[in-house]
Amino acid sequence: MFSHYLDLAWRSIRKTPMMSLLMVCAISFGIGITIMTLNVHQVMSANPAGERSDKLLGVQLWTQGQDTWRDYSPILTYQDAMSLRRGTVPARQAAMFRTGKAVTTDNPDIEAEMQSVRVTDSDFFAMFSVPFLYGSVWDKAVDEMPEYLVVIGKELNDKLFDGRNSVGETLYLNAKPYRIVGVTDSWSPKPRYYDLTTGSMQDAELLFVPFSLTPMEEFEVWGNTNGWKFEPMRTYEDRMASEKAWLLFWAELDSPEQRKAFQDYLNAHVDSQQQLGRFTDKSRDSWARTMNVADLLEFHKVVPEDNKILIGLSLLFLLVCLVNILGLMLTKFLKRAPEVGVRRAIGASKRQIFAQHLVEVGCIGAIGGALGLLWAWAALQYLANKFFLQEAMTHLDPSIWVIAPTIAIVSAMLAGMYPAWVICKTKPSVYLKSQ
Amino acid sequence: MIAIKPTLSAMLRSRSGPLLLLAQIILSVAIVANAAFIIQQRLELMARPSGITETESFEFSVFNFGEDMDLLARDERDLEILRSLPGIKAAAPTNMVPLSGSGWSDRFVDGPDPENAKSLPQFAFYLSDEELVNALGLRLVEGRNFHKGQVLKGFEDKSIQREVILSQTLARAFWGEESPIGKVVYQGDDEPITVVGVVERLQGAWVDDMHLENSVIMNIDFNGSSPNAGYIIRAEAADIPELKETIKAALLKDEPRRVISGFSTIAENRERNYANHAMMAFVLGCMIVLLLVITALGLSGMVMFNIERRTKQIGTRRALGASKGAILSWFLTENYLILGTGALVGVLLAFELGRRLMSFFSLPALDWRYPAMTVVLLFVVTTVAVILPARKAANISPATATRSV
Repeated sequence: MFSHYLDLAWRSIRKTPMMSLLMVCAISFGIGITIMTLNVHQVMSANPAGERSDKLLGVQLWTQGQDTWRDYSPILTYQDAMSLRRGTVPARQAAMFRTGKAVTTDNPDIEAEMQSVRVTDSDFFAMFSVPFLYGSVWDKAVDEMPEYLVVIGKELNDKLFDGRNSVGETLYLNAKPYRIVGVTDSWSPKPRYYDLTTGSMQDAELLFVPFSLTPMEEFEVWGNTNGWKFEPMRTYEDRMASEKAWLLFWAELDSPEQRKAFQDYLNAHVDSQQQLGRFTDKSRDSWARTMNVADLLEFHKVVPEDNKILIGLSLLFLLVCLVNILGLMLTKFLKRAPEVGVRRAIGASKRQIFAQHLVEVGCIGAIGGALGLLWAWAALQYLANKFFLQEAMTHLDPSIWVIAPTIAIVSAMLAGMYPAWVICKTKPSVYLKSQ
Repeated sequence: MIAIKPTLSAMLRSRSGPLLLLAQIILSVAIVANAAFIIQQRLELMARPSGITETESFEFSVFNFGEDMDLLARDERDLEILRSLPGIKAAAPTNMVPLSGSGWSDRFVDGPDPENAKSLPQFAFYLSDEELVNALGLRLVEGRNFHKGQVLKGFEDKSIQREVILSQTLARAFWGEESPIGKVVYQGDDEPITVVGVVERLQGAWVDDMHLENSVIMNIDFNGSSPNAGYIIRAEAADIPELKETIKAALLKDEPRRVISGFSTIAENRERNYANHAMMAFVLGCMIVLLLVITALGLSGMVMFNIERRTKQIGTRRALGASKGAILSWFLTENYLILGTGALVGVLLAFELGRRLMSFFSLPALDWRYPAMTVVLLFVVTTVAVILPARKAANISPATATRSV
């Protein structure tokens, strides 16, 4: 029966090509714009941590003076990060920040190049599920006893070492030799959830060095440094001893008990520092906050406000398109009333007539949806080019392949419900009489 | 002449068509008015002048990685090389680049005692020498530039007085109409800083920052303090592509242990940093156009159908003496009745939508002119959409009425 209705729908669409085209266009524009804005939302609101989202917690401490900033700061001071690193509650933990270095190798043909570098602890790789191609991360002991070791990303390995197993070879960062201990496979979570303070849609770094090198190497900070009081920072030691915040701290906690213990541990830490006179703002009842990945994505407003406004307006736009095709459909179906009258007279049930018309509307929705998907894709390419959109945003999110046809067909059928109902109520006698 | 009552009662007899049209008009007014308002807001943001010769000024950065490099001497030597290159009108060291999205910000206080001092508003903090005014093409409106060579080598250097040039916005925000020249400010420690000049305009790094217009230039060349050094160059716009190569070659020849990168003009920075706003304005603009097109086509389609359905009726009217104009005005009256009602409800909905957007997002309240303009726009669009098919109706011959009976 369904294929018969499909056949009837196709005939009907072909009979009024202009009207059908108009309807398909209207719905495709509505779907196109909605899908486009939804796609940006889907890409940006993805949680790359997946099921680990609740286990990975970013630490925020209330470490400030009075009348300073109003909310928790997502970044910590060096002294606090170092204290937390000594804690033993979490299953895994890592302090981190971003720096930059000039990269060279023994191969003189390769020009020196600036690269972002992530300074972090060995647990980083397991916590954020970084896959390894060759070798592995540095030994845990290196987190305490610094060594000049580096983990590099596949893309950099391809460029500098033609993709061969470079473990054991030497890389120079600012002319200083570092031994390669591991090569990661392609890995670049979007949004880059492990550090949302330096841009959420950037690629992951291709160089990772031990955090323990920080005091010796005096890594520059390629990110925010926030301070709430004036402190002279003549040397790197000044920076490390200051109240300037510039580090991220992540902990992996498996059970609620662990989480509770960790929260107590954090509170105790801030409390002890307050007693030393470091933080004078005591206007809170809790001194620490941990946020899982999902909360952090929200906290950092990874999905921009503009996108939410656009989604709202594009849904309203889609509604206009639907009202529009509802009107056109009603017009079209009513015109066909005499034909329906005859079909009713020779035995078609109301339900059959209703179903037949809904199938027709569904077809228009499906064609409009497919076209809308095409518009959305083309529009994203165009916008990406014109407005420096991140490449990740130009790909259609897998979820869109389900969302787009669903919205298209369901919304078209909803719009078609009323006209189909009106037409199936047609009394056969009225039209038979007038023939 | 235009009979509203019979038109209305005719419409009320087949309600669904006109009602749908009404819904469409209401939604359109609400969407178009708010979208147009947001577009206007964004365009205003983007039109703010930076005070900079944006197409002539460009930046680049040098990252020195030699182990035993004297960074202070390196910076001096680099400036010397840059200033001797042909085609360069001005070259200045800098710690940050305008409209780049990344930079320094700070605050001053007006006295040495931190307990009682009053704080100036937050500002973008440029560290450079006397050449920056020239390199960015700033207009000095009061006081003077730094004296040549009177530049400190970092914050520890206390050999000469710290001096600052302020943007007019910052000076006015704190001192009002009073001249800031000669005023002394402090930056946390007790080192006095004298205000020596005011530039008409200088924007900071973050285009969405509320303090974008507040800027300060201090006479410190910060380039020697870190391996990362930044420069701002002014040249003829046409010479810039070639200069990129010349500069890179000249600096690398003098010292190869470095990476030179950047080379974007302030105009390019502007485009990149306002891209979000430009995109928003563009997408909303497309939405408005599509909405009007769809509304117009839908309306035309429905008028066309009505004409077909009422052919007999129109013919009868014509036979009874109705002029072509009367037929046309019949359709138009119908349209304006719907449009009028739709506009009324639509404007209310537009304000409601605006209010919601305002409460959820950082948007100001909807200006009444936008719904008004939208209604005018819809008046024009629907008139055209009705007149074109309705002319066909007017041409229906009176004979039709008799023929088909």
